[in-house]
Amino acid sequence: MTGALILENLHIEYPETVLFDRLNVQFPAGSLIGIETDVLDGATSLLKGIGGMLNDIDGRSILNGCNILTMSATERAGKVGFVYEEQGLISLYDVFQNIALPLEFHTDLTFAQTSALIHTTIEALNMPSALLQMQPHELNDVQTRLVNLARALVVSPELLLIDELEGGMPDEMIDSTMKLLKNKARQHNMTVLLTSSNEHVLREVDQVLKIQSNQLVESPV
Amino acid sequence: MTPTEESRVPSSDKPITVSPAGAELQNRFTLLGPFKMLLNPIAQLINTIMDLIGLISVALAASKLLLEKKRRGIFMALFYRQIYNTGVRALYINGAVGVLIGTLLISRLFDYIPKQVMEEQFGYLFMVIVFRELGPLISGVILIARSATSITAEIGYLRLRREFQVLNGLGISPVFLFLLPVFFAFPLSLLLMFIYFDLVVFLSSYAMIWLADPNADFFALLSAILNQISLNEIAINGLKAVLGGMMIGVISIHFGAKVENSFTEVSDAISNSTTTQLMVFFVINILLSILAYTQ
Repeated sequence: MTGALILENLHIEYPETVLFDRLNVQFPAGSLIGIETDVLDGATSLLKGIGGMLNDIDGRSILNGCNILTMSATERAGKVGFVYEEQGLISLYDVFQNIALPLEFHTDLTFAQTSALIHTTIEALNMPSALLQMQPHELNDVQTRLVNLARALVVSPELLLIDELEGGMPDEMIDSTMKLLKNKARQHNMTVLLTSSNEHVLREVDQVLKIQSNQLVESPV
Repeated sequence: MTPTEESRVPSSDKPITVSPAGAELQNRFTLLGPFKMLLNPIAQLINTIMDLIGLISVALAASKLLLEKKRRGIFMALFYRQIYNTGVRALYINGAVGVLIGTLLISRLFDYIPKQVMEEQFGYLFMVIVFRELGPLISGVILIARSATSITAEIGYLRLRREFQVLNGLGISPVFLFLLPVFFAFPLSLLLMFIYFDLVVFLSSYAMIWLADPNADFFALLSAILNQISLNEIAINGLKAVLGGMMIGVISIHFGAKVENSFTEVSDAISNSTTTQLMVFFVINILLSILAYTQ
């Protein structure tokens, strides 16, 4: 099989519940894939499983030839970005430090380079720079998810996993954010996998899948 | 079965369900019950000890990341924050207790010691009572009450918010960010608190002595104390600070990190960690004092 992201026999199971039964799917590089999600259907677990953030998981999640599930934490952090549906920020740090943290920890960028990268990213996301000095508890849900997205984008990952980004966002904001994601995906050959229950979002992606009988199947949306 | 059908079943035929609390009660009355009641706390104690040893090893292993300049920068910011919160902001309460001990207890020695041997005896008693025992014990209790409880609560809260998982996702070990600063800052803070406490007790006791006898010689009393403090005394106090501070910090992290889903687990964690810290800290102090000072 060829493709940027290949799931091979990916099996996710909790005690007494099989969530995904030996998934075999591939996604081309530079594409936006939407997973139509419903309440408690396991979509968040799927994203975490693909990103190597679950322990009890079987199979392989191969990103450009490397299995994410066997990568070191540092290697994975440079290749996979994750945007949480809620929270996801470190409360010890303000917004700037939260976005800077993976760059500070994993790269040799100077403070000036890190700062420039962060300002460019938040401008692209139409976020006010005053937000950078705020603490995580001062942000609303939409701002929190955008900061999550900014933190994931600054490392230019090969795979971006986004869990229901759009909640509470006005349509214009969804449009501009999706446009930005599409551009980034095309420019950097980044595969974006997002879960959503919003038709507006799902109309903007290249392919829509849904969860059915522990498998991912094409959705008519 | 509908409710009507259920009501027709004779009561003796109804299945008996046992609540979890009832099951535990039943269990206690079986033959193995008393053994289990005895063995469970022992097993828990062994688990806790193994976890603590594991945490110390993990902290030591993670320390190698401090050799890298950028990561050291992240660590140092958190380390300074911890030193400020633990070692500096606690000084006022340490000072207040020191003043009380100095004015109410140590200065009273003045009334009972003959003037001819005052300096020598004051120095000896100060070293035996304050420097060896009270300083470390009171500073440790203040560290536990004031800082360790807040670390346990903070770690519990971070666990509830799934921030450990977020850090793992970012390829950053929570041990590096949350454990290491505490692991290194607590011993240093405790040492600062010892020194500060001893200083405040001396100054306040001197002030009381001076009020009773304005001819009391400050430098003579000070040098009488300094003459009593050998390198051995300093080493034992240093060991009490390092071992005590390290264990208090690790126990806080251990119990804080056990929080999983509920806010009530945070209060349980604080309660359990404080009890364990007091026990461990007192045992360390008493053991070291016995080993070092028993003739």
